[in-house]
Amino acid sequence: MRYLLFAVLALVPLALVGTLVWQGNKAPPAEHAAARPAGGDADAVLRGLFDFKLAAAKIKEKISLYDDKGLFDYIDGAAPIFIERHFRKLAATELSTPEGSDLVCDVYDMATPDNAQSIFDKEKSAQAKPVEDWPGAIAGPMSFVFHQARYYVKLTAFDAKAEAALPLVARALKEKMK
Amino acid sequence: MSDSDQKGNGDIVPEARLRDVGANRASDKERPRDEDRRTVLRVGVTTAMAAGAVALGLGLRAREGHGKSKTLPKVKDHRVAKVAGAVEMAIVRGPDAAANVRRAVEAVGGMGRFVKRGERVVIKPNIGWNRLPEQAANTNPEVVAEVVRLVAAAGAGKIWVTDVSVNTAEQCFARSGIEKAARAAGAIVVRPEATAFREVDVAGKLLRTGDVLYPFVDADRVINVPVVKQHSLSGATMALKNWYGVLGGQRVKLHQNIHLSIVDLAAMMKPTLTIMDATRILLANGPTGGSLADVKQMDTIAVGTDEVALDAFGAGLLGLSPGDLGFIIEGMKAGLGTSDWRSLKTEELGG
Repeated sequence: MRYLLFAVLALVPLALVGTLVWQGNKAPPAEHAAARPAGGDADAVLRGLFDFKLAAAKIKEKISLYDDKGLFDYIDGAAPIFIERHFRKLAATELSTPEGSDLVCDVYDMATPDNAQSIFDKEKSAQAKPVEDWPGAIAGPMSFVFHQARYYVKLTAFDAKAEAALPLVARALKEKMK
Repeated sequence: MSDSDQKGNGDIVPEARLRDVGANRASDKERPRDEDRRTVLRVGVTTAMAAGAVALGLGLRAREGHGKSKTLPKVKDHRVAKVAGAVEMAIVRGPDAAANVRRAVEAVGGMGRFVKRGERVVIKPNIGWNRLPEQAANTNPEVVAEVVRLVAAAGAGKIWVTDVSVNTAEQCFARSGIEKAARAAGAIVVRPEATAFREVDVAGKLLRTGDVLYPFVDADRVINVPVVKQHSLSGATMALKNWYGVLGGQRVKLHQNIHLSIVDLAAMMKPTLTIMDATRILLANGPTGGSLADVKQMDTIAVGTDEVALDAFGAGLLGLSPGDLGFIIEGMKAGLGTSDWRSLKTEELGG
């Protein structure tokens, strides 16, 4: 009986540590999580964000989805700062302007709007310029970054023509995220 | 408190003494409690032995490379002998990246000191990202092309330029400008196709085996041509970290203990020469980058054979000290070099 008691006592600190770790990684609060579709539906919602018509840019290739393990194969060592902020999935694709200029569009689906804002704040470059009338967006040369709802979006251009298309693509995505 | 009192509080005592204690105070009702205690002890000891046997088995399995009994090849040591009195590290600053490479290589003895006629040489830039040269996520293509020209001029029999890209290789090789520049300079550009890997014995502390791109197994000489970048997880990526790009497979496993993984791979590769590109450096949001707001023009090339020293120098460009970077500390512990790059015979040349 005494051994059993010792075993129980020894398990107490382990259980406490385990609980703390679980609390740190647990799913977001129910009020955020409840509205969010799961599995294939979530993927469809994510892909659906790109279902817009713009004269400035069209999707050039298939949309690739990455989960928390696959994220390392797309952004390598930057993955942990997303995962610790409750990253769910990334949709990445390349778009092309009518002139043939390319831009990359990465939409990170985070668990909550707070998580999306957190990664935006973390990655915000001190040199990037704020966007007029859009507090949740910044534009650096060749890039446009914003957060909207639970999404964090990074657009990267490869020349001046693609750079000019970035705000248009960003606003089209923002509309789909409302 | 007497010795017998302490024992009586629960420690194991000889069976005879248990019987004595039982004779003094026990009624028949208490006998089953002794039996319970023995049963608990027996179960406990048996469980502990079983757990130990399982742990031993797992440990032996891990030591033997998950049960594989075949002997895997090892990557060669690509270093050349040191020359007494030679400059060990050269740092050149100037507006022409190719000229900086030429001057720095010349300062450490010229490419002929490192590459002999007929040798097969693999050049390893960072071609990990679907980014333009201006975005500073990959090695500058002008730097890579100049290295190819110097190796060709030294009489190399075959020159490969390759990397295992993080983003789609086709996009990375094209958009970085490296494929075009390296081919124009005379190199064979090897994209990391699935069939281009060979399993080797890494023999590291963390990494036991790995699938390595074939030029790194076949080459006589290896030249590391990294770019200097901030890196969200490791702090920075420069010479030592560039060896992540020799391995195939999922990258997630490499990030469990990133500093030791970096050192394991660097210890495996042992390059002939390192030519570090700091023409443009990425100060934030590495390793991917994208915004030019995070890029700083430095117009600097550093060349040497001590990767730890070169990384320590590169750390300074990023506003870090060598002690901030776990892989530099681990690299020193592993005997890969010194973080005190100023203690080496160094030549610094201006533009």
